[in-house]
Formats: sequence, structure tokens, C-alpha cells
Amino acid sequence: MKQWDLRGKARQARIADGMAHAAGKIVAADKLVAFLEAVILSGDRVCLEGDNQKQADLLARALAQVDPAKIHDLHMIQSGVVLPEHLDLFDKGVARRLDFSYSGPQSARIARMLFGGKIELGAIHTYLELFARYFIDLTPQVALIAAVSADRDGNLYTGPNTEDTPTVVEATSFGNGLVIAQVGEIVDRVPRVDIPGDRVHFVVDAGKPFYVEPLFTRDPAAITETQILTAMLAIKGLYQPYGVRRLNHGIGFNTAAIELLLPTYAERLGLKGKICTHWALNPHPTLIPAIEAGWVEQIHCFGSEVGMDDYLRARSDIFFTGSDGSLRSNRAFSQTAGLYACDLFIGSTLEIDLKGHSSTITPDRIAGFGGAPNMGSDARGRRHPSAPWLQAGQEADPDTPAPLRRGRKLVVQIGETFGEANAPLFVEKLSALELAEKLSLPLAPIMVYADDTTHIITEEGIANLLLCRDKDEHEQAIRGVAGFTEVGRQRDKKMVERLRERKVIQRPEDLGIDPLDANRSLLAARSIKDLMLASGGLYRPPSRFRNW
Amino acid sequence: MNAASATPHARLSWFEAGARERLAALLDPGSFEEFIGPEKREISPHLKIFDLPAQFDDGIVVGGARIDGAPVLVAAQEGRFMGGAFGEVHGAKLTGLLRAAKALKRDVVIAFDTGGVRLQEANAGELAISEIIRALVEARTAGVRVVGLIGGRAGCYGGGGLISGCCSTLVVSEQGRISVSGPEVIETNKGVEEFDSRDRALVWRTMGGKHRYLIGGADIFVDDNAAAFRDAAIVALGRPAGFDRKRLAAEQARLERRLTRFGADRDGRDVWRELGLTQADAVPELSTDAFLHQAADHRETADDAR
Repeated sequence: MKQWDLRGKARQARIADGMAHAAGKIVAADKLVAFLEAVILSGDRVCLEGDNQKQADLLARALAQVDPAKIHDLHMIQSGVVLPEHLDLFDKGVARRLDFSYSGPQSARIARMLFGGKIELGAIHTYLELFARYFIDLTPQVALIAAVSADRDGNLYTGPNTEDTPTVVEATSFGNGLVIAQVGEIVDRVPRVDIPGDRVHFVVDAGKPFYVEPLFTRDPAAITETQILTAMLAIKGLYQPYGVRRLNHGIGFNTAAIELLLPTYAERLGLKGKICTHWALNPHPTLIPAIEAGWVEQIHCFGSEVGMDDYLRARSDIFFTGSDGSLRSNRAFSQTAGLYACDLFIGSTLEIDLKGHSSTITPDRIAGFGGAPNMGSDARGRRHPSAPWLQAGQEADPDTPAPLRRGRKLVVQIGETFGEANAPLFVEKLSALELAEKLSLPLAPIMVYADDTTHIITEEGIANLLLCRDKDEHEQAIRGVAGFTEVGRQRDKKMVERLRERKVIQRPEDLGIDPLDANRSLLAARSIKDLMLASGGLYRPPSRFRNW
Repeated sequence: MNAASATPHARLSWFEAGARERLAALLDPGSFEEFIGPEKREISPHLKIFDLPAQFDDGIVVGGARIDGAPVLVAAQEGRFMGGAFGEVHGAKLTGLLRAAKALKRDVVIAFDTGGVRLQEANAGELAISEIIRALVEARTAGVRVVGLIGGRAGCYGGGGLISGCCSTLVVSEQGRISVSGPEVIETNKGVEEFDSRDRALVWRTMGGKHRYLIGGADIFVDDNAAAFRDAAIVALGRPAGFDRKRLAAEQARLERRLTRFGADRDGRDVWRELGLTQADAVPELSTDAFLHQAADHRETADDAR
């Protein structure tokens, strides 16, 4: 007779094996390796929690110590390949196959290991699509997650950096998988229940908080005048005419400059309340001056940011907070919000080609995608109207009758024509294509596709790609803001001038912006200390960002 | 209207400003006359070997001017050009200025902003440091005051740190850093256990303006704005110009005491506690007024060279 509960029984067997190394649900940290060897089976799909911010670092270290003779051929499915241990697993032979999303600090090593055949690559995902696959064809048998604290029943407080945890637990626990959490401390009563205890099978006390990377802290002291000029162009040439109120920002210095110009430059343009009121955004310290000046109505966060927790607690009208007062973030929900409920995404990139595809891949680094492509894409399933969305749709397709016309998400790439180490932003051929050839990937890792990109902003001006009517115009609009890069110098000058007359290209002077006004004194804060002072001392910058 | 021109000097951040902006704010309006200006194109003869861009003033502006009516010679390093580092031409300009100071019996103000000797012209740079120190000491022996202002992005490191130690008076802001070996150099040579150069709060607790002021490594502590630096320079130029064996012996004795007292300390905080500061752990967070109030009864004061 067919049995229909084999997976549940298999989990019960794992729990029984784990109990031999635990007291109730609690596993001692010094028994963790033996415990993992008891509950994980070779060939398991394992989700080791970690993304571009929080890390289940204790569990990652323990998993890297298991005996590869006992456990091997794991299939790791995880948001971030960030810690050295994440790749040690493959070097040691504990893991073989990898599906992931982001690999910032390990981007060079992961590339070497892929070239060397140490890793069998499933795919590189965006966060949202990896989360989606947790529920369809990549459901974990074991999830190793991180929380701030737990009680003895396994109720978890994940705190401000909740991030991916609810999604991982939902898929694993309700999909007959085993959930193991590392916590900073075991308490009698958790401040709030982020994950109910009946979804958590074991808890290990790490004795210290999980690691969090302050990825979203940009020091205003490093913002250049060119970046300020691009920020002025974005505000006056894009946010103002479209009336962009719901948006997401990337993590670059150009967008940090926009945030710091809101209470100064944008205020003088009379835009307060008219732009930048609702955000899907991590708690960027550079947004503090705008929040304090009353610009922002609401922000939903993917994660938290190191040093911001007290500030967020004290600004609960703006941020989503729990019954205990602290921030509740949720990556899956915020990514969905960025995809469906924001009218603009703006971010920096490393390379843009002649068609408008952009990528952050360099030939020897595979940094993955993270969440940018979710925000930086037009949501074809969107059905609710908004003024910027309708206006962008009208510009792209003036001939279709309005009731049948799709709107368009504004997807903006912003940067200087020459980036770090004078590398040109505009290229004939993306490094991502070379990488795809080298690794025989079926898809080149493109961060934002050309057909999603609506605008490109450089210090030379704004190219509105929505207004281009054919391939030639599209290419010349890109060349027309590419400055003195090779791509820019090969522009058709006459055509670029014609595009300028039609406002496909707008120069700073066309928008009444004097580049000499792009001065650091325009920034609402010019240092991390200014940000701390603007927060009334509530923002506590991490040590590495302080110069006092 | 240009946003920059609307910003009065009172709001100009010394830390943010370039060498020429600093001089414009420091000196009496219209009083500055540059020596060997960029139009002379006295550029580094070494940088082109390394395919590196030169700067027409080689990263230092020198000249004569007035501060609060008094004639002075001034120098300002450009921290944004090669980290304000001393190269051959850069060093020679400062040496010449200090020799002129001795001849003219005119006080000197130096706005330091330097990581030390320029590695690409190491020997010439090291020689320049020695020549500058000699010229500085000879000028001071002749009764000239040499005032150092420190609060730029590059700090005052390497040979710059040595030169600053020979000045009559040092003015420093919280952002200013003074040391010989920089954080990265210490970490590279002694290991991260000895000094974690990425821990910027630690860098400032051990080399930053507040710490240097508390241990007598600087004499006047000011806010990070150009007007405050000017006011402090005026005060420093009004101090007695004495420079003799007796003062140096007293300073030597103080430095020996300081080493005995604090030599085993691992962190600026340990020093501040031993100095008796009631809010030692809060020093980095204190506002200028609160800090000066705390420091007043507890800081070490230098007799001279530090």
C-alpha cells in the first residue's frame, strides 16, 4: 500500500537522532558538529542562512567541520555565499552543488572554484526567485538559521535583522524539513515571537550575536562633486517631472548623494511631500537627514543596518516595528514591495553596453545578483495605476489607447562615465558575456536588462530611453551620455543633437543646473558624524566608519 | 548663484577644504602672495617615470601673507594630491620658506595634510624631511614662531609627524591625526593583534586630535571649521617665541615621564582614565565645549617639542 507520510517520518527520525545530542531542543555549542553529523544526510538540500547582511556564522563554521566521509554531496541552496566557510564546504567535499543569489566578498574565490570545477552550479538567482524555488523545486531538507534569542520551546526573536528567516522557515518547516537555529542567547521569554517554536526543531546557543555586515552604510565624506551633480540631475530631471513618491535606491554613492540632497537642494526646488515619501529600502544612515526634515512618510526594510536599531525604534511612525518596539524587516516582502509597489528603481552599476544591458560582473569576479534585478525590472503583473507609471508608459508607447496601455516602472542606472580606477562605465561588450562563454552558462549574468532600463544618468546628462523610437536612437542616446569613454566618443554628433532637441537627452544646462553648483556644501551631512548628530545621537556608527 | 560662494568661511570645513581654500579662509583677504606658484610649473621630476600625473604646485602652496594684520609666511599641503606626500620639489619649497623665515625673522604657519614621504621619490623625500627639520629649528633658534595646523583628510603622518613635533605650537581639530607610523604601517609590521587599522575609532583614540591634545601632543584644540583655525593661529602667533636648551630639557623629562606613566597602555581610553577624566569612555562623543571643559584640569601640557 502507498504510504503518504514518508517525508514526515523521515523528519521524525532525524529529530530522534538529534535528540541524542541535545537537551530538549537545546544543543550545546561544543556538540554542534556531532549533532549536525547526526541530523544531516549526504545529498541533502541544505539552506544555510546568510545574505548580504546577516549570517548564521556559528552554524556555517560547524558545518564546515563535519567529516566529509560521513556527510558529502550536499546541495547548498542559500541567498548568500559570503563567509569563507561557505566555500570551504566545497573545497572539503562536504557540498557539491550550489544554487545561490549573492556572493559579494567571495566573488573572486567563487569564480576560481567555478572555473576549477569545484562547484557544480545550479543557477544564480535574484533573492525573490530563489525564495520562490524554496516552495517549488528547491525545498530544503535542513535549514540552518540565525536569530537573536530563543526560549526553551524554540520560539525565536529574530530582531531588526529578521530578513530571510521567515521565508526559509516557512518553506522548510512546512515542507517536512528540519529547522536548526543559532541564537545569541537563550532567554525565559523572547521580546517578541518572530518564529513560533513549533516550526523550530533545535536551537544552539552561540553565546554571541550572529554576524551582520554594514553593507548599506555610505560615508558622506567619500561622495564626490560629480556624484552630487548626477544626484541633482536625478532630482530635477527625473524625480520632479515624474513625481516619484514610491521608490527604491541602490547602495552606491550616487544614490546616497540623492538622499543627502533631499533636505537641501530638493527642498529649495519645493519638492518636499511631492517626491520620495514611500520607500522599500534598508535603513540607510544617509537617509537620516531627510527623515528628520520630515520628507519621509514610510519605509519598509529588507533588513536592518548596523548601528541604526535605536534610531529605528525611536522613529516607529516611519519604520515597521514589532510589539517590542524594534524593527521588523522581511526580505521577501520588501522585495515584493520593491517589485510591485514602487514606481522607480535607481542604482549604480559597473558596465553598461550599447543596448543598455548592465552588469556588475567582471571577468574574474562573480558577485551574483542579490535583489537589484527584482527592483530593477518592470513588473509585468502589475495592474494598479500611479502617475509616474502611467507617464512612463505613455512616453514608451504613445500610440496605444490609454486604457489598453501598460504603464512602465522607471528603472534608472546612475553613475560617472569613468568609475573606480578610471574604468569606463560604457563598454562595447559586457564582461558578463565573456564569463558566460568561459563557463558555458546558458544565460549571461545580466543585472538589469536593456528592455527594463528606462533612463541612464551620468555627469553628462540624462538619456530617456523610453522616448527612443528605434535601435539607432536607443544606441545614440546611450552614446550621448557616455562622455569621453570610447563608446561616448564614437557618437553621431548630429543625431545626438537631434535627440537633445526632443529631450531624449538632457544636459545639465537644459535642466537649468550649473555643474559648478555641484558642491559638497549641498550635502545635508558631510560625514558619518554629521549623520550621528542629525539622529540626535540615536545612530551609533560602527567603529570602522568613525573618524573621531 | 554659486553655492560655494554663499558659504561663509565660518562654515567651511577644514577637513573638507583643499589647500587653497584653507589659505583663503586663514589669511587676511587679498594679502596672499604666492612663491613659485603653479604658473612656474615646478613639477616633480620623478613622477613621470612611474606614469603618474604631476601637479603644477607639487601639492604644496607657499607664500607670504598677513594674518590679523601681522606679516607671516605660510605653507599649505594639498592632501588630495598624492596624500599630501613630501616629494623633492614639495620639500624644497617648504625648506626654502623656512630659510626665508629665518632671514626675514618672520613667523611661519604650516597647514599640514600629509601621509609622509612620497614613496616614488623616497630618497629625495627623506632628505627633504631632514632639511626641513634643520631649517625649522634654525628659524626657531633665530626667534621665529612656527605654527602647525592639523585637521586635514590625510592627517599628519611620517616625516610630517616629525616636522610637526618641532613646531612652536600645534593647532588640531578632532578630525586631525598625528603620528609617525600610520595605522596600516603598524598593522603590516606588527600584526593586526597589535593594531587593527580598520578599527577607525581605535585609530582616532590613539592618533586623533582629542587624544593628542590630552597627552600634550597638540596645544590648541578647535572645531573643524576654517574660522576656528584662523582664530587659533592668531592666538598661537601671539605666544612667546622662546626656544632654548632649558625648555627642550624640560620637555625631554616630560616625555620620559609620559612613557613611564602610559607606556603599557593599549588604548587611548586607558590613558584618559589614568589622566583622571571622569568621562573617559565618552571622550569621542563629547562636544568641543564639553571636551575642553573635561580636558582643562587633566590634560598634559607640553613645554615645547612633543
